[in-house]
Amino acid sequence: MSAPTGSDPRVEQAPVTDEALLDSHDKLLGRQPDDKAHYRLLPLNLLFLFSGLIFFAGTYLGRYAGHFHPSVFNEHGQPPKAGAAVAVAVDPLVLGKNVYGQVCAACHQPNGQGLPPAFPPLAGSEWVAGSEERLIRILLHGLQGPIKVKGTEFNGAMPPVGPGSGFNLNPEKVAAVLTFVRKEWGGIATPVAAAKVAEIRAKDGTRPPLTVADLEKIP
Amino acid sequence: MTNQSTNAGAAEVTAIDTHARWPLLYLIGAGLVWLIVSGVLSLIAAIQLHSPAYLAECAWFTHGRVEAMRETAFIYGWAANAGLAIGTWLLGRLGGYPLRGLNWFVVGGVFWNLAVAAGLIGIAAGEMTSFAVLQLPRAVQPLLVLSYAATAISGVLAWSGRKRAGTFASQWYAVAALFLFPWFLTATQVVLLWTPVRGVVQAVAAAWYAEGVFALWLAPLALAGAYYVVPKVSGRTLPSYEAAPVAFWTLIVVGTWTAGRHLVGGPVPAWLPTMGVVGTSLLLFHFLVLAFNFKIALTPAGTAMNFLRFGLLAYLLYGVFTTIASFRGVAAHAQFTFVTVALEQLGFYGAVSMLFFGTLYYMVPRLTGRDWALPGLASAHFVTASTGLVLALVALAVAGETQGNLLLEAKATYAEIFQQVSVPLMIHTAAQFLLIAANLLLLVNFAMSAWACGEKACASAAGLLRSSSSMEASAS
Ligand code: HEC
Repeated sequence: MSAPTGSDPRVEQAPVTDEALLDSHDKLLGRQPDDKAHYRLLPLNLLFLFSGLIFFAGTYLGRYAGHFHPSVFNEHGQPPKAGAAVAVAVDPLVLGKNVYGQVCAACHQPNGQGLPPAFPPLAGSEWVAGSEERLIRILLHGLQGPIKVKGTEFNGAMPPVGPGSGFNLNPEKVAAVLTFVRKEWGGIATPVAAAKVAEIRAKDGTRPPLTVADLEKIP
Repeated sequence: MTNQSTNAGAAEVTAIDTHARWPLLYLIGAGLVWLIVSGVLSLIAAIQLHSPAYLAECAWFTHGRVEAMRETAFIYGWAANAGLAIGTWLLGRLGGYPLRGLNWFVVGGVFWNLAVAAGLIGIAAGEMTSFAVLQLPRAVQPLLVLSYAATAISGVLAWSGRKRAGTFASQWYAVAALFLFPWFLTATQVVLLWTPVRGVVQAVAAAWYAEGVFALWLAPLALAGAYYVVPKVSGRTLPSYEAAPVAFWTLIVVGTWTAGRHLVGGPVPAWLPTMGVVGTSLLLFHFLVLAFNFKIALTPAGTAMNFLRFGLLAYLLYGVFTTIASFRGVAAHAQFTFVTVALEQLGFYGAVSMLFFGTLYYMVPRLTGRDWALPGLASAHFVTASTGLVLALVALAVAGETQGNLLLEAKATYAEIFQQVSVPLMIHTAAQFLLIAANLLLLVNFAMSAWACGEKACASAAGLLRSSSSMEASAS
């Protein structure tokens, strides 16, 4: 017959039987007696290539696997030192900014300008730039009655935000938000210590909101 | 083989084929029907990408569900049925004895397809799981495992009771696929559906499973077909076949380690994505050996070989591209874009499906004992399918490239991005039309061939009856 045509769409012919197929390939794997002994286990060039790939894989793994540490998420990262404090230190400015956005911004506005005549500004306020003890107490106990801020008289009520209040911020968060507010709008870089907040809170307990008169008694 | 017009198929049909004819034809037919179903769903999903309002008011056909149904019909409908039929047939032929346990095979096949059908309805009703490639509703998952186990019995028996001690590459791949799939399917079901692990581990398990479906199940079944049909049709021994075992073990061992590449940038320990990069790189060896083994597929030799050649090239390209795309720098651009979709289609459609088609073109005539009923449709199928596929892949890649660059610019909104890529997306829709048309050609051709074979079987059965009754008549 004519040679099999490439375009013949009919059923494909099979020039080899299954037996012959298995035999010829078995021989290559060295499983069959092979008189000419012309099988190789793996061609040398492939062997080289495979070793090359494995070498690359090993090096790459060593470099970018983050020491296989479960808490290293960045391929360049280093695992935490053994024995180092596990608790991650939180930047009070970041935490403070968060708390400010969640709690204070509703009244004092995200830019700290307040919303006169109801809410006094924090930006440029002499109270913010003033005594740390007074600020802590404003947040712990709240504030009501007339107060003068930047020459304008306000008369509203600020709720307490500390532990046990509706906002229930712990001392760490109170300290953080004050650190943020003082840095951002009072130009004071020294952070407020959470321990100080806790100490004042322990000393004062709970009490009704302060007035300006109360504040002035505090150093 | 002396005359082109002789019934060439019948010449090589063995008792092994005729014995398993109807069970295997049933699975293939079911697979082809699912292929059309998934094609139509794919078309709907493609249209929705550039015309979001299309079918948007119908909850059953919103994009997310259509996409889930498309994927499910494709993998569990088409690929599973066709792959199981191919794997079982190969194990039978190479095992040297007629297949046993065929009643289990049929029962399993029926229930598998019922499970998929029920699952698709479940997905349409919104009951899908949230894991890609494993979206069938929880309720049908146990049935999936049981029916798979029943279907796989024939193949396993053929393997364990094979005539010769020596084994051939097709057998390794087919047996590995048969055994590995139920293992990682059940393992994944346990950790994702029955006693779900928490948090990030879920994403890791889901990525591992999805990779397993390709690398440990469908790709091996497709390769099993290629390893058998290519040397059979070309009549030549595979070059560098001595490296084939290493290629096989490379795939089996590192195949699923490549899953980490899907997790780049995710909240997972750094070693997982790194392992993905390493896995895909090591897998290059597997692809390289395959390229050597299948050099001989480049010689033209008919429709089956055309499909196989296309499928093998797609498989190699898939290997190279996934390796490139796994590196973090590239992944940052390609992730979550149509590039990923294109790559997935290259693997599942370009490689697996085209290899299945090629094997089926060789296998079905041997099962029916006659040529394809409409040989002209076979070459038409190849031309249409390959055109549609190339068009779809290129369109997706172009769309993905643009999309990837825009996504990284915070300025462009999501809607704007889709506006920008609407032209390639429309081309993609046109390509889906072509693919449906192409696969209809195969379905029609298959149905006609099976029908003709059935008629012949009936006729000969009737003939037997008639002669026996006349014998009785004459005896009395
Ligand atoms: C419900 C609204 C409201 C919230 C929330 C609130 N404040 Fe106030 N705040 C006020 C009002 C009203 C005043 C003025 C009280 C008065 O008139 O006695 C005030 C006064 C102040 C003052 C003193 C006056 C000034 O402007 O310097 C400070 C400091 C202050 N608030 C800080 C904060 C911080 C920090 C927070 C967040 C932890 C906060 N406030 C949350 C309403 C609020």
